[in-house]
Amino acid sequence: MHIQSKLKILSQAAKYDVSCSSSGSTRNNKDKGLGNANVSGICHSWSDDGRCISLLKILMTNFCVYNCAYCVNRVTNDIERATLSPDEICEITINFYRRNYIEGLFLSSAVFINPDNTMELLLRTIKKLRIVHNFNGYIHLKAIPGSNPQLIKEAGLYADRMSVNIELPTNDGLKLLAPQKNKESILKPMALITSQIGETALASPDSKYRSKFLPAGQTTQLIVGATPDHDLNILTLSENLYKHFKLKRVYYSAYIPVSQNPNLPSIQGPPLRREHRLYQADWLLRFYGFKARELLNPKYPNFDIELDPKSDWALKNLNCFPIEINTADYKMLIRVPGIGIRSANKIVSARKICSLNHENLKKFGIVLKRARHFITCQGRFYGEPHLNEKIIRQLILPGSPKLKEDKPGIQQLSIFSYLNDLSTRVTGEL
Amino acid sequence: MIRYIYDMSFEGLMTAIYEAHYRIKKPDEIIGENNLQKSIFDEDIFIEPDQLKAEKVINAVEEKISKEALENIFYAFLSEIEGCGTLIYNYIKLGWKLGAKLHLHLSDDRVLKIHSIRQKVLLERHRILGLIRFKHIEKQIYYAAFEPDYNILCLISKHFERRLADQNFIIHDVKRNHAALYNKKQLILTEFSLTEHPTLSEDEKDYQKYWKEYFQSICIKERINPKLQRGYMPHRYWKYLTEKQLGL
Repeated sequence: MHIQSKLKILSQAAKYDVSCSSSGSTRNNKDKGLGNANVSGICHSWSDDGRCISLLKILMTNFCVYNCAYCVNRVTNDIERATLSPDEICEITINFYRRNYIEGLFLSSAVFINPDNTMELLLRTIKKLRIVHNFNGYIHLKAIPGSNPQLIKEAGLYADRMSVNIELPTNDGLKLLAPQKNKESILKPMALITSQIGETALASPDSKYRSKFLPAGQTTQLIVGATPDHDLNILTLSENLYKHFKLKRVYYSAYIPVSQNPNLPSIQGPPLRREHRLYQADWLLRFYGFKARELLNPKYPNFDIELDPKSDWALKNLNCFPIEINTADYKMLIRVPGIGIRSANKIVSARKICSLNHENLKKFGIVLKRARHFITCQGRFYGEPHLNEKIIRQLILPGSPKLKEDKPGIQQLSIFSYLNDLSTRVTGEL
Repeated sequence: MIRYIYDMSFEGLMTAIYEAHYRIKKPDEIIGENNLQKSIFDEDIFIEPDQLKAEKVINAVEEKISKEALENIFYAFLSEIEGCGTLIYNYIKLGWKLGAKLHLHLSDDRVLKIHSIRQKVLLERHRILGLIRFKHIEKQIYYAAFEPDYNILCLISKHFERRLADQNFIIHDVKRNHAALYNKKQLILTEFSLTEHPTLSEDEKDYQKYWKEYFQSICIKERINPKLQRGYMPHRYWKYLTEKQLGL
């Protein structure tokens, strides 16, 4: 088979893995060889679906012994199969890299013969890249669940990042859709990698040498919408993975119907909006100090599809607002809808010099359409006179008219509007 | 209006700022000679670049304001945005007054504007690190052409020197006629132009084909989203992207 056909088959087979980032590693170019890693990661292109292309994401083979219902490569699926040899993979990777098409390699594989055999071949490929070709670019390797821990440990010395995909958030889901897998077989290699990273860090506390074993850590992926699990289950799982397994990232992949199976839901298209909300919430967990339980609870186990999770949280917690921009704690500033990390930093810097007003915030790029309902500047409030969840929700929904200057709605909160508010509360009018 | 004119070089701009500090006739604007539009109401004074004077300004900015301020000035200079000379002049003048706390004064437009230009220049730099495309041409050279909005060649060339340490390369800013040349030993920035297209090597076409194939097959058809794609990868950069050229 020609190499171009193999490339086509094996990249198509790999495309449902959403992880693409190339960040977190500081691997240097060694002895004037080829490549290095960039700690912030670099995207090299964006395919027509808008997803970034950073790594050559490819399966070594799509011949698989498993039969997971949600997967295109399942053994009973009638598709074209191909295998790339270690040498072929090295050659494509290096030639793509020299042309600056990619940041490195993301190598995964279907389970061919058995897990040990597959893992052994993956390891041989990346060792060749590192040792024979002195390639120092980014390598993301998939750890094959059920393979010998020794192989995974060795692979960690050559790869920058490894991942084991959980795919289905609960054991019930696995039983239904991937009967040959179970939670233990997936979590075991994850735990192994976590402990190995921890050990290397302890053994060489000098940060210079700390990066020997998987400098960019490990990640995983969860499929959204293939099982009836709620967002709450998924987000709680992510929270635990960040906390206990020290994962760098959890990726969410909207389920795309790739097969007809009575155990799979029939859906019109992939739940992209839901996936987007989960990513937003994931950011809130990692950078904004939120807990999963704050964003969702058994009463509201799913995200509002119309509204982003932070705005949704703020609306449900109106009692925390409004906050004064010039005095509020940084931790509270980043909880305001429309204020991100960058604008919060600007506020914190600028207010050391002088008290900030509404005009300043506008210039800082804060989304006042959302933020104005939750803040005061120098004591002035620019939101609606009634701090009412339903009204604000309507005003901040995407697609609702943009904030205009001198709109009658923007007025200073006065004692009278407060009285007005009280009276409606008493009469129950809205 | 009094206008100081500099020769488009960073040294020239810094010399103009030096003169603005010491001469009695203060400028209202500082403009690069290429952006100059003659007007009978303006008094134009051409400033000869002077290395010593420029260095004095550079050192003073670093010592009396901050290293960050010096970087900001350099990024704003590279942006080549209309009026950047005057912006930088006003920013430095403010810096003499405020010292190391200059970066906190975001409520002052002179500071905020410079910060936002810095942001734009660094964004383009980051994008271009990924979007540069080398072609393997004769004599074992990898050649990349590009046309960035801002003059960022000097901000990206080191990255490729570190990364592609074992290959000869040319990164050519076609718009500004200069290039970074590297021969596995030395990196130089120089004036550069090509009269004809370079001859591609034997394997180049194959790898272009493979890359286009990969670009097509990695896309999930159910998720097609051209707007998102253009948001990350603006259309103006497509001209030099291998994967966006027609034909397999």
